[in-house]
Amino acid sequence: MTDCGCEKAKAELEEYLDRELNEADFQDVSDHLDNCESCSSEHLVALALKLKVKQACRETAPEDLRSAILSKLADA
Amino acid sequence: MTALLSTQPDTVIGELELSLMTTDRVEHSATDTAAADKRRQFEEQALPFMDQLFGAAMRMTRNPSDAADLVQETFVKAFQAFGQYQQGTNLKAWLYRIQTNTFINIYRKNQRNPYQGTIDELEDWQLGGAESVTQSVSTRSAEAEAIDHLPDSAVKDALQSIPEDFRLAVYFADVEGFSYQEIADIMKTPVGTVMSRLHRGRRLLRELLADYARDRTPATPASSRSKK
Repeated sequence: MTDCGCEKAKAELEEYLDRELNEADFQDVSDHLDNCESCSSEHLVALALKLKVKQACRETAPEDLRSAILSKLADA
Repeated sequence: MTALLSTQPDTVIGELELSLMTTDRVEHSATDTAAADKRRQFEEQALPFMDQLFGAAMRMTRNPSDAADLVQETFVKAFQAFGQYQQGTNLKAWLYRIQTNTFINIYRKNQRNPYQGTIDELEDWQLGGAESVTQSVSTRSAEAEAIDHLPDSAVKDALQSIPEDFRLAVYFADVEGFSYQEIADIMKTPVGTVMSRLHRGRRLLRELLADYARDRTPATPASSRSKK
């Protein structure tokens, strides 16, 4: 890397967040985030959003859904 | 919705039905036992995913009644196609694929989305969304903090208001933790398209939630926690 690493990190931040990078690239971005406040703050926003979406979307099916499914399967 | 579901052709399992039919009409009691075993196996393995599928169905149909119908239909189709499911492979992804197909083939037909088919081709400037490159570190810290304190309802509302393909990609990645490849299989689209949908969906979400937080910013930071 000839630049400070921001360019590579910014391009791969989302794949880093989603654990889609191979080990070497993951380590590169990880190292960069340790040393770059700008990129790590950007990553933290993305991480906060990802965790928030996961938490907000927790749902429990209506109580009667299970029995409705079971009776449909019995007829299927 | 129930009526619509049951009158539509069986697009998901289509070709699978033939092979299922050939297994019928063997010796009667043996068939009954085998069928009961198959049903028990299906129930044990697939039903634990019911709440998760319902959560996804809520993001698809936007209301509990249609979501419940969609999940029921998904389980019926999955059960009918269960002979085709390879034990040991990813059952959760398989169920999501069936549910997504069912939703797209049946539900979406009755709910024309003006973006449909063109959303991936829109340019970024046409979509709008957060422009984060100009933000300072402190602005981003404040944004992360604000996101943390958002009520769940604001997040769900924001999700509902972004284009469906973006919403589902974000949901599959963030809530279900599917890999890009799994999402690509579920949505029947290349991995590159999944990445683009995720990126754009998150950008739009971020912008919507930033607007929300800005509009609701209380006079004193201390009272922000009570905003539910």
